[in-house]
Amino acid sequence: MTADSTNNRDNNTGGALAGVKVLDLTHHVAGPYCTKLMAAFGAEVLKVECPGVGDPARGLGPFAHDDAHPEKSLLFAYLNTSKRGITLDLKSSTGRSLLERLVAESAILVENFSPRVMPALGLDYDSLQKINPALVYVSISNFGQTGPYRNYKATDIVEYALGGLMYILGSHDREPLKHALRQSQFKAGTNAATAALMAYFYKLKTGQGQRVDVSVQEAVASALRDTVSLYSYNGAIRQRQNSYTGDMPRSPMPTSDGYIVPIHFGGAVDWDATGDFLGEPDLKSEKFSTPMSRLEHAKELHETLEKAFGRWEKYELFEQANKRRGSIYGIVQSPAEVVASGQNGHRNYFAEIDHPVIGAATYPGAPLIMNGTPWKASLPAPLLGQDNQRVYCQQLGLSSAELTILRASEVV
Amino acid sequence: MSLALDGIRIVEMGQLIAVPHATKLLSDMGAEVIHIESCVRPDNYRLQSFYGNTVEGNFWDRAANYYEQNRNKLSLTLDLTDEACLNVLKELISTSDVFAENYTPRVMRNFGLEYDDLRKIRPDIIMVSSTGYGYVGPWSTYGAIGYSTESASGLASITGYSDGPPRLPEIPYADYAAAEHTAFAVMAALIHRANTGDGQFIDVSQSETLTSTIPEAIMDFTVNGRTQERVGNVHPSISPHGCYPCAGDDAWIAIAAETDAQWQSFCRVMLRDSWIDDPRFKDSVARVENRAYLDTSISEATASRSAGELMTSLQRAGVAAGAVLNGKQMLFDSHLKSRGFYEVVEHDEISGMPSLPYSSRPWKLSLTPGSSRTAGPTMGKHNNLVLGQYLGLSETAIAEMKGTGVIGTGPTTPRPPRVVPLEEQLSRGLIISYEDDFKDKLRDRFD
Repeated sequence: MTADSTNNRDNNTGGALAGVKVLDLTHHVAGPYCTKLMAAFGAEVLKVECPGVGDPARGLGPFAHDDAHPEKSLLFAYLNTSKRGITLDLKSSTGRSLLERLVAESAILVENFSPRVMPALGLDYDSLQKINPALVYVSISNFGQTGPYRNYKATDIVEYALGGLMYILGSHDREPLKHALRQSQFKAGTNAATAALMAYFYKLKTGQGQRVDVSVQEAVASALRDTVSLYSYNGAIRQRQNSYTGDMPRSPMPTSDGYIVPIHFGGAVDWDATGDFLGEPDLKSEKFSTPMSRLEHAKELHETLEKAFGRWEKYELFEQANKRRGSIYGIVQSPAEVVASGQNGHRNYFAEIDHPVIGAATYPGAPLIMNGTPWKASLPAPLLGQDNQRVYCQQLGLSSAELTILRASEVV
Repeated sequence: MSLALDGIRIVEMGQLIAVPHATKLLSDMGAEVIHIESCVRPDNYRLQSFYGNTVEGNFWDRAANYYEQNRNKLSLTLDLTDEACLNVLKELISTSDVFAENYTPRVMRNFGLEYDDLRKIRPDIIMVSSTGYGYVGPWSTYGAIGYSTESASGLASITGYSDGPPRLPEIPYADYAAAEHTAFAVMAALIHRANTGDGQFIDVSQSETLTSTIPEAIMDFTVNGRTQERVGNVHPSISPHGCYPCAGDDAWIAIAAETDAQWQSFCRVMLRDSWIDDPRFKDSVARVENRAYLDTSISEATASRSAGELMTSLQRAGVAAGAVLNGKQMLFDSHLKSRGFYEVVEHDEISGMPSLPYSSRPWKLSLTPGSSRTAGPTMGKHNNLVLGQYLGLSETAIAEMKGTGVIGTGPTTPRPPRVVPLEEQLSRGLIISYEDDFKDKLRDRFD
């Protein structure tokens, strides 16, 4: 490999999913991230928004230069790269028949309304599979399409609570925390994209479409390692960690200029060697020499470690530690440091994208590199309704006069 | 029942989570995954978190973290420093669709198992290398686990209480984000190969996958020059939005009331109708401004309520709320139960473990649902099957490999790790409690 790796991230040749047509009825975060992944790797994604207002994510900050304008949401701009966009009122009968024509031409449909909405619009799976039996119909919802919580309301913090991740994040003597921003939504979007492709792969072999039901709660709950099995294996319940465990913490520890995470991997920590490496002879003291003595002097051990790490600058300690066997220290980087990182720079991770309203900006790039079929990130998110003419007239064959009528009646 | 990935074979040289979780998801849907293990250096996840918290006998076949990531797979042990074993692996790869690994790049280079080597023996192979910081670049030689990569991604720096250090959850979260993206990439590559006949090399940086999920923070910096701070559970425009104490030991509820209508419903369910007319809470701007006072008041009002009952009342009134569920409560949650989210899996007899429930997968496919068919394999369980039936090695040849110890059913030098008794875990604050009658409770729940 792989000298070529860095050149293949973003060069706009055909992606892995070239020719796969995706009808994107999604909004907010989870659905758009699902279809963004597909679009980035070559699928033709057509995003359908409500006329006039569009995807509510257009109202979510941060905004470019703090201007709360519907074309300046940076979150929306990121989530909708490489898609085309039209507007359509799904509640009108004309709108629904136009949508049905698009369904007939699509391989995958993705929606993330609450479970009541698509059936109420007459756009449930059973109706649409009559139009297109090979359709892969993906629904993403807070708690899935079935079960007692199916109509429950949720935001990220509620998904963290009911997904089991919140209870194990934070300090043992304070309230549980969620991760910053909207992790549960991104997890659900990623999993939904995978599930959609699994169903599509089956369709390639058999010609049969099917229904895919993705739950945000389950996206969180399926990634908890042994948090649940600690109970089924031993009857024990894991909690948020005590500050002083009498062991090497595997949580961020302050250095002179930030934080590192002192991971010692593969067996017990060699405290003498660690004391030598960090330049802290007190770590070699008798009172830290056995698990029981470290537990007994847990607070003192923690303070000694703080003293030791506090003498280092974080990048220096990170790099020195990682040159030693088994000490795979982590480094806490701010977003600014991530952007400046030589590692990300070497890999051409960030993408420059020119958006007609936001202008040129630096976006997070491909989450991974597919060397044979690089992703494309150069198309900016669609302006509201920007592809109406192209889709309704060129693709579906409506006349300009017909489109004008649809506009006047606010169907598009 | 049909399986979406029936007929796909994946050879996986994985450890911990980042690759094993990805291939587990693919195996649920029907892919045959052959998990390559080393008796000399067993997967770290075979050496921790044991059933019954004991390390007697074949403890490596009773490890929770191993079983969590490796169901449905076949286990083949190989000592790749032995040339015959290395050739066996290459031959196996030549019969496979995907080769996935998550070691540092040095390991693949040393064994001659890089993409350019493998496509000579299988031209359309799809190879995945998942590394902490990427297969190339100045940090590519660094090892990493989820705690390290979550830190480097940018997510840790913005997660935590506003007055405290960056926070990581008690599990290696970033490994899962990487695994989920990896499963997606493998599917995209399989579709591309189905259409064109071409394989390819996929380079996953675990840190980069997570950075791709925090665009708000990254672009607030690149466009506005702003560095986001740690804010705990605070939402910039929603209040109330937080985690509040409930009756009981370490019991909490998460609540988010976004609209004025939801706020008013919230006040009524909390039996605090007077808040509706309080000028400090009159609209969302006022509630955001007076957030600290509001949160204190809410905490006083929730402290005597049951988290589960309060959640039900709030949701009935249209307010987003969720009890903060711990590991046990997840298993007993009525909604997850009704969706069959936890699937009971039978363990191999030699593990000495009963059938146990495990989390399944976050999707349901109507035609090809997939399933947890078998528990993760005991070490080397499928040596004979893979070497004999798949690769056609003779019984004598296999016996010889066993004799020289390059294959086996346990670590070359079994060193039982120190097990921390539950009482000590309690005093170290690693667990909040343990129950002696958990087996009965599980049986009642999952039989």
